[in-house]
Amino acid sequence: MNDKLEQELKKALRRTDPPAGFAERVLARAAKEEQAKLAREKRRFQWFGMSGLRLGVTCALCLIVAASGMIYQHERHQQGEQAKEQLMLALRITSSKLEIANQGIRQINSPEQRPE
Amino acid sequence: MVAISNVMSAAAVPARDLSFEDLVHEHERMVFSIAYRFLQNAAAAEEVAQDVFLDLFRNLSRLESAAHVTFWLRRVACHRSIDYARRNRNAASEVSWDDLGDLAPGDGRVKHNEDPMLSKRLRQVVATLPEKMRMVIILRYQEDAGLEEIAQAMKIPLNTVKSTLHRAHALLREKIGTAIGEGNI
Repeated sequence: MNDKLEQELKKALRRTDPPAGFAERVLARAAKEEQAKLAREKRRFQWFGMSGLRLGVTCALCLIVAASGMIYQHERHQQGEQAKEQLMLALRITSSKLEIANQGIRQINSPEQRPE
Repeated sequence: MVAISNVMSAAAVPARDLSFEDLVHEHERMVFSIAYRFLQNAAAAEEVAQDVFLDLFRNLSRLESAAHVTFWLRRVACHRSIDYARRNRNAASEVSWDDLGDLAPGDGRVKHNEDPMLSKRLRQVVATLPEKMRMVIILRYQEDAGLEEIAQAMKIPLNTVKSTLHRAHALLREKIGTAIGEGNI
């Protein structure tokens, strides 16, 4: 009984042809999807390219700013050192002058020089 | 022997080496027929079948061989057809026999020893079966799939396939009996 039913089902349920042009429509959709995928990849590549350029410019600017800062700091430091040296020199000169003046005062005030 | 070895070697060809166009031409009848027999609507079946092939187009590089492609297409056609039916269940009205067309095979040929009226009624009755039963019957008798293949395609246990098939036979006999009179099958 089951065999008879199975045989009849096999006869009744046979594959059906798809509508005319089915394969062409599938291939057209696949081609369209492939084109869209390529366009997406191209846009992504361009975006990454632009990002790379932006990143490069940003890095270069950062380097320039950092280098300028370092140079500025270095110059400030040198100026400070020069000012310090000048101050030290001035202090030494002042000190030697004061020493001379002090010696003059001591000579004037010494007992040998004092009148009897 | 030569023919068998040719078939074996063709089935072993890596899927990435197969032309998508050739695959569409080779499998369009199988994919469309599964969807058409299940959904009973040519436009819906074409939509599902196109989506199945586009899925194949996206995943072709991941498939291992021509045999794998056949298995994969059958499985995806099953699941997409069931999903489509579930999505559109609310929109679709109850299917009655009178609403259904003949759903005859596209070639229109009548097989030797085939009773056209009985075949027509069987197709109509199959179309009214519950989803899971309908898909099991389609895979078993339209695609000539083994029970194990059906279980793999539908991702259900083998015992479930057996019990579903058993219940489907009983239901078909009951419905056919009432449709064309007892004693024919």
